[in-house]
Amino acid sequence: MADAPRFDLPTIEAESAEFWAGMREGKLLLRRCGDCGALHYYPRPFCPECWSEDVSWQPACGKATLYTHSTVFVNDLPPFNEQVPYVAAVVDLEEGPRMMTQIIDCAVEDLEIGMPLEMTFREVTDEVSIAVFRPAGA
Amino acid sequence: MASHGIKDKVAIVGMACTPFREHWDKGADDLLIEASQGAITSTGIALDDIDAFWLGTAQTGMSGITLSAPLKLTGKPVTRVENYCASGSEALRQAAYAVASGAYDVAMAIGVEKVKDSGYQGLNAFPIPNDGTNRTLTAAAMFSLVAPAYANKYGVDEDELKLVLARIASKNHFNGARNPLAQFRKEVDVDTICSAMPVAGRLGVFDCAGVADGAAAAIVVRAEDAHRYTDSPLYIKALSFVAGSGSGLIDPDYDYTTFPEIVQCAADAYAQAGVSDPRHQIAMAEVHDCFTPTELVLMEDLGFSERGHAWTDVNAGVFALDGELPVNPDGGLKSFGHPVGASGLRMHYENWLQLRGKAPEDRQIVLDPTRPYGLVQNLGGYPGEMVCFMSILGTEPG
Repeated sequence: MADAPRFDLPTIEAESAEFWAGMREGKLLLRRCGDCGALHYYPRPFCPECWSEDVSWQPACGKATLYTHSTVFVNDLPPFNEQVPYVAAVVDLEEGPRMMTQIIDCAVEDLEIGMPLEMTFREVTDEVSIAVFRPAGA
Repeated sequence: MASHGIKDKVAIVGMACTPFREHWDKGADDLLIEASQGAITSTGIALDDIDAFWLGTAQTGMSGITLSAPLKLTGKPVTRVENYCASGSEALRQAAYAVASGAYDVAMAIGVEKVKDSGYQGLNAFPIPNDGTNRTLTAAAMFSLVAPAYANKYGVDEDELKLVLARIASKNHFNGARNPLAQFRKEVDVDTICSAMPVAGRLGVFDCAGVADGAAAAIVVRAEDAHRYTDSPLYIKALSFVAGSGSGLIDPDYDYTTFPEIVQCAADAYAQAGVSDPRHQIAMAEVHDCFTPTELVLMEDLGFSERGHAWTDVNAGVFALDGELPVNPDGGLKSFGHPVGASGLRMHYENWLQLRGKAPEDRQIVLDPTRPYGLVQNLGGYPGEMVCFMSILGTEPG
């Protein structure tokens, strides 16, 4: 029998292979523009500020602050339906870019906008890990 | 380059709306026939008198044949349009421009969505983003992100904001209880709303729009022809549309307490109609209350409330049925239900009833000549990635 469909796995393509390899090694790779210096995330093959194709990888330091959040109690899509409730969040990375992620190891009532966060990684499959965040120093 | 608008060039001369329900016994064909027959009866014309058709649907059909087959249309131009949850309004926009241009004399805009018994609760998800994270956010979760950001920005206690949101839902249930076409026709008090099953963030099940099947339709003609069809046409004062660039989701400057697409769309609509003080010139508004935080933010984005003050205006009852500026007098998406492609036309249907004094007595608003305009605001997408439609309507030309 085929595996049940799941909605949390990316399609890893040539352009994103190094990014996902970084995740497996415990690195969140941002991209820096060699021309204008802007950092961006999600990684693209060109700089979204100046369109230069001179972009290179730069690991994020792992520090972030919480911008806003939502605890998801209902989500029918597997495997999220077995993970509820979980905390989805928008965080601002110390380097500047913003990302959607999840907050772990934090009670909902302890979530506070602006709270410092630190990155950790969750192994989803042998090939895929994702960056998630928890309260700094937890 | 400019948005010139078509103020008072086009009038709605007939409308109909089906009940919004879990129509287990009806398919999209049945709903389209019911809404289109209702609209032509309302106009006093025959189906063959209609020169062109625009059908708005998000996922119930792919082409004009979705409409031409059940209506048995032959030799007519029939076009399906899609623009997320604003698809029904998009159909009206195209039909209005078509008659304004002189290309056709009589056009129908119709919207439908059949969301029940499709195998899904609601519509199937739009294509899944490829970064392995976005789909962790349900629609409710995406709009719930607004609440903590709003509370933090304006110093509102999160428990107080929860009550504000519940008052919005309770108001819309109160209105829907007076609407025989609405999906949910019961008043629900704030305590019940606050203690309901949680869905996302501080939102419970009563903070979310109803999922329903339904259809709605409008017949439009050039304004100078309107009195051939009805003694009480509804003139289109403004039609505006904005599609955002979708950058909000990754833009650290986007703050989740406003929807920039709506601010831009409103500025265009008000300029077209000549509205300078919406809080005091608009008689009523039908807005896209998909989730309660959406309606809260819309009150500010539409200029009804000062920034940071929509929550106090909600508490003061400004937007209640008997308030200064009734919002969603038909119950809104919350209580009327949200058959995606039909909702935009449903919002126009309430303006069609109310502004002409034809709403059921127990929800008819007081018509005040100093407030000559009705407003429709219909959005699609999510905070940071949104399309917005707006129209302004009135019973007097000029």
